[in-house]
Amino acid sequence: MNNSFGRIPWLGVLAVVTMLPGCDSVDPPAFRMNMVEAVSYETAPEYQQEIADVLAALFGTPDEPFALPATGLDQVMLNRSAGPAWSDEAGYNYGLYRKHCVHCHGITGDGRGPTAMFLNPYPRDYRPGVYKFKSTYNPAKPTDDDLHRVLINGVPGTAMPSFSLLPGSEVESLVEYVKYLSYRGEMETKLIQYVFDELGVMEKLDDEGNEIIDANGDPVMERIPFDPTNDPDQREAVMDLLAEVVDAWDGANEMIIAPTEDSIPAEKRSPEELLASIEKGRSLFFDKDKGNCYSCHGPTGLGDGQQDDYNNWQKAHKKFLDETAKLAEKDELDDLEASLLDDREEVAESLYPLRNAIPRNLRQGVYRGGRRKLDIFRRIYAGIAGTPMPGGGPSAPGAKAGALTEEEMWNIVDYVYSLPYEPASQPQVVTPKYTQSITN
Amino acid sequence: MMIRSILTIALGLVITSSALAEWGSLKGRLVFDGDAGSPKELNVNKDTEYCSQHKPVDESLTVGDGGGLANAFVYLYVKRGKSVEVHPDMEKVGDEPVVLDNKGCRFEPHAVLLRTGQTLEVSNSDEIAHNTNTGALIANAGFNETIPKNAPLVKSFESRESFPSEVVCNIHPWMKAYLLIRDNPYMAVTDKDGNFEIKNLPAGKHEFVFWHGPNGVIKSLKVGKTKTSRKGRAKLEIESGETLDLGEVKVTGKQLGM
Repeated sequence: MNNSFGRIPWLGVLAVVTMLPGCDSVDPPAFRMNMVEAVSYETAPEYQQEIADVLAALFGTPDEPFALPATGLDQVMLNRSAGPAWSDEAGYNYGLYRKHCVHCHGITGDGRGPTAMFLNPYPRDYRPGVYKFKSTYNPAKPTDDDLHRVLINGVPGTAMPSFSLLPGSEVESLVEYVKYLSYRGEMETKLIQYVFDELGVMEKLDDEGNEIIDANGDPVMERIPFDPTNDPDQREAVMDLLAEVVDAWDGANEMIIAPTEDSIPAEKRSPEELLASIEKGRSLFFDKDKGNCYSCHGPTGLGDGQQDDYNNWQKAHKKFLDETAKLAEKDELDDLEASLLDDREEVAESLYPLRNAIPRNLRQGVYRGGRRKLDIFRRIYAGIAGTPMPGGGPSAPGAKAGALTEEEMWNIVDYVYSLPYEPASQPQVVTPKYTQSITN
Repeated sequence: MMIRSILTIALGLVITSSALAEWGSLKGRLVFDGDAGSPKELNVNKDTEYCSQHKPVDESLTVGDGGGLANAFVYLYVKRGKSVEVHPDMEKVGDEPVVLDNKGCRFEPHAVLLRTGQTLEVSNSDEIAHNTNTGALIANAGFNETIPKNAPLVKSFESRESFPSEVVCNIHPWMKAYLLIRDNPYMAVTDKDGNFEIKNLPAGKHEFVFWHGPNGVIKSLKVGKTKTSRKGRAKLEIESGETLDLGEVKVTGKQLGM
């Protein structure tokens, strides 16, 4: 049996997890490798180990996290969040992540804690560094305030509770730790891709850069190890990649969507004004070239339009599963493919059942990203990162107008707010102009 | 140490100036080896009335009448941190935007080449709304925007991508395109007859990536005297003033992951 695409690090972690606590020889918890990425990129076992080593050098371990100064992360806050949960005599709490978060989000922040499989929606996988409920433009990272708000408010309609009872310093430490897990997860994927792109088994070169030829006239091949400690070029590349990750996060505050003062509806509007705005919002909701909201949220706003799409996290798994199924269907597999299929099937089995991205039922009045009008406005403006929901506003600061003007977005906000108060037995009256287009 | 780095810089300059004058091209034709059949019809279950009249078909395999494989990417592999000498005529990124149109409930074109800093214009020629989602980009942050009629979305990207990535419309899930973003002009997409040409490459030995969506890199592809690796790359020598013609390159369904 060819074991060229090993699962050694992965199985090692599984063994740790299944070991009973209380045993003297228990290994400390370890970060789990992103096997969907590693197997997709056919990362050889030696490289998997080297990537894990480099990640450990950059970020430490779940018990002893480490942040290079280049990350700008606060080491004291990370220390407070990491490690086993305990309190000192003064009642100061440590190990906050394992006390409050790990059950769902997992030790690696991969959204695969012990309870994760039983939750709907699945807990967020922090590793891609994509967050849905934020104040920034679609491609941008969330700000610290955004993550803070999610921790304080929880995510209504999901298993994510509010942590508003924690002292402020604890919430801040957790925000820092969530960012840390994202930095680490993003770096992991970048390193896997770097190894695929740049390293591997290659022609051995002499000092002048010429290929060395063996007695049979074939070039001598060697595996280029991933060893940034001893290879300055690799070290530079790793630091560049880290800077890419950090820069995106550091730039979040410049990417906040601030509504233009003039477009914000007045605080006190007459019933007539409000009704007129709702009416406009309704029309935009059904307008194919404007809001086009109904094609996913359904003509009644029940979220029963387009239902067979996936969010980006699930889409990545679906792609992996589809490719695995395709490989399994093949008649003849060479040794390499057979071994690859084994690895793929093992990872595929570990994935949770796929779920579609179901558009929000707008008649419930439950808003996952917050129920301030500003929150709904930003959802319409930027869409929801990582999901099928597109943005209707400009796509970046200073970019030209999108499908909707700010005023129109506020109209839709008013309409969305009005939806829960109309009984389902009185479905929305579709403007006759658009009746034709909602036949499917 | 100091002396060594000065030496390296000096050497680098010498290599640069000597390489300047020598350029060659690469061309070839990808041919599908097997029976492609006629393109599969899609289950047009969104905006059926409008979209079905355009009869969009499955474009995951587009083979021309003469067997040519369309929409495959061929591009120069450049190691990270290394830059490639670019022919003076091609140094400047064009002012003309690269257009990706939503037309007839499909993307036109299906395979898009874009240089870093170049403008991508996403337009909508249809009577219905589309959104364009590039969430699959890796080195660049993706976007997901509604594309209204008569108001194209204008975008540009800063980082080179190692591979083409999928562009989708979430409203019409069958719609797919592939976008490759590179920081040099040495990339091509095969046309409807499978032909591709990359002009004005710096002479020398280079690796080229062969890629076709959705499966990705094309492995073990016989190109000229060599074969692509597990990473879909083949090393080819471009000679000054010459065009390396790979002739017909046969691609099997297996190599495309079918």
